[in-house]
Amino acid sequence: MKIAVCIKRVPDMDVRFKIAPSGLTVDESGLKFDMSDFDGYAVEVAVQITEKLGAGEVTVISLGADNVQETLRKALSIGAHKAVQLKHDAPVSDGYAIATALAAELQGGGYDLVMFGRMAVDTQNRSTGVLTAELLGMPVISAISKLDVENGMVKARRELEGAFELVETSLPAVVTIDEGIARPRYPSLKGIMAAKKKPLEVKPAQLGEQRYVLEKLELPAERAAGRIIGEGKDAVPELVRLLKEEAKVL
Amino acid sequence: MTDSHVVFAIVLAVALGYFSYNVQRLIGYLRIGRLDDSRWGNIPARLWNLIRIGIFQEKIFRDSVAGPMHAAIFWGFCVLGAGTLEAILEGVIPGFSYRDLLIDPAYRFYALNQDLWGALVLAAVGFALFRRLTKRVKRLMGAETHPNDPLLILSWIGALMVTMFLAGAFLYVGYADEPLVRPLTYAVSRAFTWVNPSTARLLAEDFWWAHVLLVLGFLNYLPFSKHLHVVASLPNVFLSNTSGPGQVGVMQPMDLEGDAEVFGAKDVDQLSWKSLMDGFACTECGRCTSVCPANLTGKPLSPRKIMINVRERLEQKAPFLTGDTTYQKGDRDAVMAKSLLDDFITEEELWSCTTCRACVQECPVSLDQLSVILELRRNLVLGESRFPEEVMPAFESMEQRGSPWAFDPGDRGKWADGMNIPTMAEMAERGERPEVLYWVGCAGSFDDRAKKTTVAFAKILQAAEVKFAILGQEEKCNGDPARRMGNEYLYQMLAKDNVETLNKYGVRTVVTACPHCFHQLGNEYPQFGGDYEVVHHSTYIASLLAAGRIPIVEALHAPVRTFTYHDSCYLGRYNGVYEAPRDVIKRALPIVNLVEMERSKDKGLCCGAGGGRMWMEEKTGKRINAERADEAIATGADAIAVACPFCMTMLNDSVTSRDSHVAVYDIAEVVADRLA
Ligand code: SF4
Ligand code: SF4
Repeated sequence: MKIAVCIKRVPDMDVRFKIAPSGLTVDESGLKFDMSDFDGYAVEVAVQITEKLGAGEVTVISLGADNVQETLRKALSIGAHKAVQLKHDAPVSDGYAIATALAAELQGGGYDLVMFGRMAVDTQNRSTGVLTAELLGMPVISAISKLDVENGMVKARRELEGAFELVETSLPAVVTIDEGIARPRYPSLKGIMAAKKKPLEVKPAQLGEQRYVLEKLELPAERAAGRIIGEGKDAVPELVRLLKEEAKVL
Repeated sequence: MTDSHVVFAIVLAVALGYFSYNVQRLIGYLRIGRLDDSRWGNIPARLWNLIRIGIFQEKIFRDSVAGPMHAAIFWGFCVLGAGTLEAILEGVIPGFSYRDLLIDPAYRFYALNQDLWGALVLAAVGFALFRRLTKRVKRLMGAETHPNDPLLILSWIGALMVTMFLAGAFLYVGYADEPLVRPLTYAVSRAFTWVNPSTARLLAEDFWWAHVLLVLGFLNYLPFSKHLHVVASLPNVFLSNTSGPGQVGVMQPMDLEGDAEVFGAKDVDQLSWKSLMDGFACTECGRCTSVCPANLTGKPLSPRKIMINVRERLEQKAPFLTGDTTYQKGDRDAVMAKSLLDDFITEEELWSCTTCRACVQECPVSLDQLSVILELRRNLVLGESRFPEEVMPAFESMEQRGSPWAFDPGDRGKWADGMNIPTMAEMAERGERPEVLYWVGCAGSFDDRAKKTTVAFAKILQAAEVKFAILGQEEKCNGDPARRMGNEYLYQMLAKDNVETLNKYGVRTVVTACPHCFHQLGNEYPQFGGDYEVVHHSTYIASLLAAGRIPIVEALHAPVRTFTYHDSCYLGRYNGVYEAPRDVIKRALPIVNLVEMERSKDKGLCCGAGGGRMWMEEKTGKRINAERADEAIATGADAIAVACPFCMTMLNDSVTSRDSHVAVYDIAEVVADRLA
């Protein structure tokens, strides 16, 4: 069983961002980067499948500048077997262009299963996985919360609003992973040491045409500070007036 | 030379031969352990430990009942050893006696001491047996102990004394000219005056034989008994580092670059040989377990069991590793498939430890139970990624955001907004250098309650006109939670980053209100090239107060307040700071009544937060912080003073949950409250 997992390096989201002077990316100084959460679940699921089968190979693929190697090593440290960096130094925001590069790498790689996180936690486009499936001509099940791979079939569960559906398709296939499926393990030092010796191949990314470009990043406007208009009963008429006239919610 | 001398010489040779064979066998077992060359430096300090802890039984006396009892037996053994040697030499050299070697007053002194100490040992042994058989002394019990062994040993010692007295008594009966140098023995002999002298002479010889055979038997029983401590404890005290030389409680760095197959220890052969020797020296006295906060509150951890397990597993596995076929028990593959971790000591035991060091402090023979626990934890985390799942976010956050809590690192210095406190970076830009760097720590930077302490301490520094700075965003977690939880990899990452930052600014003096930061920066960062003078805020405030540098209002008309001070483990047992915080409270509150809890200073009970327990759930038994809060409330104090942000959280939570009106303050808050 050959599994590929496509992963993305994203900044830690629990901080307040600043926009870089270029206006096209966030200011990276002081930011910590890690694998996107959903991609982490995907790597964990892939590793668990090979562990359960006692055979198979998990290849992790990431597109970007050399700093994605750190992210790839992290995936290797929790059990992936091989890594590929599709080298491209400038930031790319078009999911289609990225999907083209990934498809070019995956095509002919003999993968039975290709996995993605259901979205990258930073840009939240949800497009790369399904676009790649389309380019590869493979069936895709998106945002799955449970996965069984058996006898050349994929059985998956998708959470819906208040319900779920069970879907199946035959291999080879693409799946994108939602949360709740598995928690990525904490890399042991043993894993980190082993990761240093696992193969990491660097290839130029064969990026497709970028059909949309990011024009400008902006922070949302700061919320205006609250106003105290008085205390007790006496303040009510004024509050009602403001809600009517200024906020226009009444 | 008579036949009996020849027989005895043979018996003696066999006995000594067998004893030395067994000692060598056990030393061979120690050789399977990891190398540890930190045991031979600073001989004078080690000799001093040997004298005060070994010879003067300093730690033994921490128990007021067992202390004198054991000291009597131990000192008795030292004195009686001379007599035993005489008895043995008598056995091989016809007619040998110290009488011919020692001039008279010396001989009389020697003989008198044999007599008196013999009686004292007999009395102490009698008391010990009585205590074990009739009083259910809690600390002497426990599933892991070998309860019959001490009974056998005590009876054996009793028999040694009885045969010694009887042999001497029948000499008095048998030989009218025997000098009257042993009054007690002589008194015993008066009970046997009806025995005819020639029979008495034979009986004297018989009891001599009984005595020396018991001695040699005892010697050869030791290697198989928990009483191996009779032989192992003195060397152990000499080789131990738990009372120095050097700083105590410091974890040794791991080599993370090397090609280690196993990280930390999973089994005995990955522990240091000294930890293995600790197993041989353990007396099963249970003093450690009786003070262990985890054990006291119903958790599955017993530090005594840890040491007993080390010895059990060593004696099980070592024969297979050393090729000692006589002692190989069971199937080789089955034995080799087991390990100390899991088969003897469970994960749950290991995670129950708060690293409070009470066990180490209490152990009369200077064992280091804690280092075994920490080595096994290292293996769990680094080797197998096994730890309570609630710890994962703390690990990830330490790595990602430099704090065990998921706060934005950019907010680290936020507490200081509007206080006009410069960062090191700002000072450096102006080409200035502070008198001290105030290292705030994660709790002090992000925890709402601890932030009040931080602000209070900063105000004190400002009031005392100390020129200080903070690191702000550049500060990171000191790494202690990671290191104590076994995550040395993460720890070293943080420590190295911090050392780099501190060295970049040429920092010399650091003051901090967190005992964990204090211990790390002062005692463990030197391992990574960080050498600073680190002062805890208790000591710092005490000296500012003593120098009259803090303007405090006279409060002679304020109501009298009763405080009790809770000792932080990392300030107290790890660093010996007991007086400074008490001094601060007294000086800041001229009308203060300071009461002590029953367990205080080096006997203080942990708050329950150390060793990463702060980030773990406490599911079994009573909560440790509840146990401690109850003790504090029971003193009748109206306020509890602490000097550690973690103790603050733990005690505050517990006091609040008990609906008590007792308030919890950091000592800095007490002083800041009095600022003029
Ligand atoms: S360090 Fe404290 S908690 Fe840990 S075993 Fe020793 S006494 Fe118990
Ligand atoms: S480790 Fe020390 S204190 Fe604990 S039982 Fe053994 S000898 Fe006693």
